[in-house]
Amino acid sequence: MEKIIGEAKKAFLTGNETVAWAALAAGAEVMFGYPITPQNEVMHYWTRLAPKYDRRFLQTEDELSAGFTTCGAVQAGKKAFTATAGPGNVLMQEPFGMAEAMRLPLLAVIQQRGGPSSGTVVYSQQEVTLTTYGGNGEGMRIVYSTANHQEIFDYIIKGFNVAWKYRFPTFILGDGYQAKMREPMEMYDPADRGIEMIKPYPLIGLDGKIGEEREPAHLCNIYSLEEELYEVVMAHAAEYEKISPELVEWVEGDCEDAEIIIVSHGVVSRAADDAVKALRAQGIKASYFRPITLRPFPGQQLRNAIAKNGARKLLVAESAYGQLDRLLRQEIYGETIKIEHLYKPGVGIIDNDIINKVKSIL
Amino acid sequence: MQAYVGEYASGKSEMAINQALELSQAGRLVTLVDLDTVEPFYTLRPLREYLQERGLQMIGLAREDSFGLGETGAMLNPQARWVLRREGDIIMDIGYGVQGARTLNLVEGADLSSELQIIAVINYSRPMTNSPERIKEYIESLGRVDAIVANTHLGDETTVELIHQGNLVIYYIAQTMEIPIAYAAVDRKFEGLIDPSFDNIPIKYITRYMPGAIW
Amino acid sequence: MVAPKTPKSWYLPTKPHKFCPGCGHGIVLKALGENIDELNIQNQVIFGCDIGCSLLSWDFFACDSTQTHHGRTTPVMVGIKRARPELITIGYMGDGGGYSIGSQHLLNAAVRNERVTLILVNNTNYGMTGGQMAPTTLPGQKTETSPYGRDPETTGYPTMGPEFISAITPDSAYVARATVAKYKQLKRFIRNALRNQMEGNGFSFVEVLSTCPTNWRTNAQQTWNFVEDEMEKYFPVGELKSPFGKGDKVNAAD
Repeated sequence: MEKIIGEAKKAFLTGNETVAWAALAAGAEVMFGYPITPQNEVMHYWTRLAPKYDRRFLQTEDELSAGFTTCGAVQAGKKAFTATAGPGNVLMQEPFGMAEAMRLPLLAVIQQRGGPSSGTVVYSQQEVTLTTYGGNGEGMRIVYSTANHQEIFDYIIKGFNVAWKYRFPTFILGDGYQAKMREPMEMYDPADRGIEMIKPYPLIGLDGKIGEEREPAHLCNIYSLEEELYEVVMAHAAEYEKISPELVEWVEGDCEDAEIIIVSHGVVSRAADDAVKALRAQGIKASYFRPITLRPFPGQQLRNAIAKNGARKLLVAESAYGQLDRLLRQEIYGETIKIEHLYKPGVGIIDNDIINKVKSIL
Repeated sequence: MQAYVGEYASGKSEMAINQALELSQAGRLVTLVDLDTVEPFYTLRPLREYLQERGLQMIGLAREDSFGLGETGAMLNPQARWVLRREGDIIMDIGYGVQGARTLNLVEGADLSSELQIIAVINYSRPMTNSPERIKEYIESLGRVDAIVANTHLGDETTVELIHQGNLVIYYIAQTMEIPIAYAAVDRKFEGLIDPSFDNIPIKYITRYMPGAIW
Repeated sequence: MVAPKTPKSWYLPTKPHKFCPGCGHGIVLKALGENIDELNIQNQVIFGCDIGCSLLSWDFFACDSTQTHHGRTTPVMVGIKRARPELITIGYMGDGGGYSIGSQHLLNAAVRNERVTLILVNNTNYGMTGGQMAPTTLPGQKTETSPYGRDPETTGYPTMGPEFISAITPDSAYVARATVAKYKQLKRFIRNALRNQMEGNGFSFVEVLSTCPTNWRTNAQQTWNFVEDEMEKYFPVGELKSPFGKGDKVNAAD
């Protein structure tokens, strides 16, 4: 594959730019998008870079169209992606549902903004439920929640591969802060790290003469009988269950002697990390657990973390009103650990917020 | 009268703030203008009150001014349009965008003013300006540029070598394009560590305020 | 029993097809199939269908096909064409999918002059969901959601699709209205709409006046009368825009 980055080097950039460069390095061929803050610079930079590397872009009439054109391009065998946020993510649930149903390897970057409704254009973690379980389906999606620019780059490269390997729609869940923050990170060409990019392949528009060399490919997402749909969904579910252990990713620290485990995801986990260090310095045995994949969720891993020292309490910290909390509770149902929470919907969480909360509940 | 242009996250706002505060601390009347029309809800806004407390006149959009308009790209505080009629020093932070320095057309009289200096801020660690060819291509895309600020840094991971290496490339391009270097901007924490005699280019030690605005 | 002659591009394992007796879809799909054969494009065609009765065509052709969501066939076809310009994309939809729930896609694809061919079947109602009022329901026409007849005062007038699309497309677009009652003309218009895409000229759109005896509750004679008289009176048939010259009777004797 063509080298985009050349020699790996440190760069200083925003999260949205990172998305564009990562997609380029991952070999994405076309982006479809519709303007919505805070993801706009993904398009701004993709449109600046794409023609230089023979990649394409279409600004569609809305997010429905951006999602469905992405579905079409993927069916035609091209590595395609889109990016959106908030109300745009709501509209894209329709095409994301089609991608789930037809197992289309679509990649979407979600830069969460405040909600409900138009909310704010700035920041939140309120699109967790929507991104993991949105649509009229069963949440057969792969969702990575990133915490910094390096991860945005790494997981976009990984995300394209996971999408094309397993054929479940794949999401990079960021947020407005990550989108706009500037920080150093290292860009690289996947091949230089020994990462082989999976070659996309068409689902329609196949080679071979129809009727002579092959049958026509007829793709559908609607079924006449309940039983037909049942079989399709159950087959998808079985495959999703099977691959979940290979997919789950998480980070944990200091759980071995923990009295309290702080659970957070995405950018908030940076604050949790700092908070644990500060609390430990004060003699409080705090620890952290961060799911990187929100779908599939590292539920067993969290149970294990709880069991390590029989921690008394678990604190869920999120910039939403319980979206991570609900996700987590269903995954560790039956655990007797007391679950406390720090909900700040649409507002950033810093280490002191967590430190104070921990002190107030221990 | 100065206008800072440059790539997204190149350090325009940082330069504008530092310059404005420096002049203000010297007892001058300074107006700082936020001309980011592409994403007006970000950049300078979170620092507005802090800067006002330090004596700067701020023209931009406060939170309450911009309610419900966060998405639009056509946001301009009307005062910005006539800012050149104000007394004292005017420092303008021009947001990024494909129009480059042409954003200045929004300021009445900017094209006629002989006192206005358009300064391009270049950070060699930015992917769009990380090679001699890219820097040249980028500066050419801006339109009129009167001077360049070399602002190579990597945030918390900046090193003296990185500054020297990156800025050297910028100096070289500036020379070939016959554009003067206004100064090299270096984080205050490197004071005394940067070779001051290099090519007679003035070093300006700056404080990075933008991390305080989250970005 | 002798099976009727069918186009080579029809997929025989799915025949006989599932449309109601007297439905116009079969005629439109026959005209499309014969054109695919004659233009020899079976292996390049991507056929995409909407939700509604047009859905029943999802496995109709021996061509690679994809079925989309209600109203979303246009963007899926656009995505495929943008990704693989060498493919010939044919979107197939009803009046509800094209003019109502998917109208923003139709409008914008037309404005962008996307190199796709769209065939929209106008039968003045939502057939598959049980005969509700459509954007194309005629004034006074009774449907399940206009039980006293469509009142333009409260529900507006029928959508004039080709007129509207003709007004917003450049001259390289192809826009026509055909009817199942004039087969040769229908076939010629669809052929032009395919040729226009194949030559890379621009957006190609054919609305086809069609029949829905099941929901109209009409016998054969009444069905034919409605499409030939009532519908054509309101929706003029012909080419509105053609890079090949309007009214060019290539195949003669319509």
